[in-house]
Amino acid sequence: MRRTVLEMAYAGSTVHIACAFSIIELLTVLYRHHLRYPGNDPRAEGRDYLVLSKGHGVMAQYACMHELGWLEDSHIQNYFKDGTDLKGLSDSRVAGLEVTSGSLGHGFSVGVGIALGLKRKGTDQKVFAIVGDGELNEGPIWEGSLVAAHHKLDNLILIVDRNGFQAMGTTNEVLALGDLQAKFTSFGFETRKVDGHDEAAIDSAIRQLWSAGPSKPKALIADTVKGKGVSFMEGVNLWHYTRLNPQSFADAVRELELTGASQ
Amino acid sequence: MREAFSNALVHLALADSKVLLLTGDHGYSLFDKFRQCCPDQYINAGIAEQNMVGMAAGLARVGFRPFVYGLAAFIPIRTVEQIKLDIAHDDLPVVLLGDGAGFVYGHLGTSHQSTEDIACTRAIPQLQVISPGDRFEMTAAMEYAYAADSPVYLRMGKADLGDIHSGPINSLRPGRLLKVRDGRSDRPGLIATGSMLRTALDIAVHLNLMLWSAPFLKPLNLTDVRTAAQVTNGLVTLEEHSVLGGLGAAVTEITSEHQPTRVLRIGVPDRFSEHCGSHAYLLREHGLDTDSVGERVGAYCQWLASNTIAIA
Repeated sequence: MRRTVLEMAYAGSTVHIACAFSIIELLTVLYRHHLRYPGNDPRAEGRDYLVLSKGHGVMAQYACMHELGWLEDSHIQNYFKDGTDLKGLSDSRVAGLEVTSGSLGHGFSVGVGIALGLKRKGTDQKVFAIVGDGELNEGPIWEGSLVAAHHKLDNLILIVDRNGFQAMGTTNEVLALGDLQAKFTSFGFETRKVDGHDEAAIDSAIRQLWSAGPSKPKALIADTVKGKGVSFMEGVNLWHYTRLNPQSFADAVRELELTGASQ
Repeated sequence: MREAFSNALVHLALADSKVLLLTGDHGYSLFDKFRQCCPDQYINAGIAEQNMVGMAAGLARVGFRPFVYGLAAFIPIRTVEQIKLDIAHDDLPVVLLGDGAGFVYGHLGTSHQSTEDIACTRAIPQLQVISPGDRFEMTAAMEYAYAADSPVYLRMGKADLGDIHSGPINSLRPGRLLKVRDGRSDRPGLIATGSMLRTALDIAVHLNLMLWSAPFLKPLNLTDVRTAAQVTNGLVTLEEHSVLGGLGAAVTEITSEHQPTRVLRIGVPDRFSEHCGSHAYLLREHGLDTDSVGERVGAYCQWLASNTIAIA
């Protein structure tokens, strides 16, 4: 999947590669083991909802949608070409993307509304909302967290991509978040913390969250590495903005092939 | 007018269990009847307007019909980006109810006054903007907003100014002006929206002017505005909103291109209120009381009579 992200980013000369790499394992686990799409239809009425509130990681989701057959090879090859549909931030007009994000702190509130609506309808559908840790600077995340707990939205799981970086530096340097798990616990969430690149651990933590804490919304704090999988991108915030050139593209692809981290 | 609003909301909610009322901890006694009749369809989302609007988008995504209530200073102004991205972009059937628009909460100061909401919402694609002027327009506007099945901002201003129309309006048609009274064709015609309809009617009667109500700020019917410009000698727009970006702008956008005529735009000057005071006081401060407006329109009539120039 990282390979697909690299190909898209290279084809489109785009940024936000590192933001996508930190959520590859999270998305892999969600699509393989948790999200239900009746008939493999991204718009199926009875589906679970994956809300990518941190729209900057959308290339990772495109890569998954490509694996699922929802996107063609041409979507990957023609990324960012004039007149195409896939944008640099998530756009709900694309089947498979539930919210229009990029302006941060929107998707989670929409996810709270979807979860409230699904509960009112009495279905067992679930909502998975992925937010970035930088995105937690935004007020509506905390407004939505109060509401989620107040309405006992136990069909909602908030997943924090805790990669420790935001646009201009580390989250500690910019606006320290403190103990996130304790914060969400105090808001009334059932919480778990996990290595966000360990698929088995992610899967297990999500299963635990669904079975524990009835009547509580869930929060999974996933410790991740921005740029995970390509050593010269890992933890280097420049890759929030840097575009690939022929050399860096070749180096990144070679490394993924050597380490087998290209899933 | 507020009773018409409350009744219409209750009527819609009783007829369709998917109708939900979301409020940002505002509206106290206004929703007594709703809470009594449809308690399960009432959600107080807390003093958290941005999340409330996003949540309304989520509810609409799974089949509900949210009506989102707040003071116009907050819904839409505080939440313009949520309205744009979460609701309008996806053409979701959410009705945004902005109460107390203009100077209704005059005593409370700038935070609660709303004179920029029409300008901000008119520029958002796929969002219709409606500003009813009496209880009959309100009832019709609520029915229209529900039936529209797409995003609507419904602006509620000063609500106790009495009836303009003689009875119920069968149905609002998108963008159409409503003719309120006939008058002299050699004088300017008045087009007013919301609370200024009462002032406009008083002046129109006094000076024998034609008067149209504009319940829609967007869309605004090109033919109707063009006709109003054709059958009068100049136009006057009246609104309890900034002279920038509201009704006056919407009318002149049409006339300047399709039927050039003189247009006097009467509204709130481009400045904040200076002093504390009642609704009536603040209207005077901004030159929007009946006496001030009447003088301006009277002088405009005289000026037009002696300065009419043919515009090709």
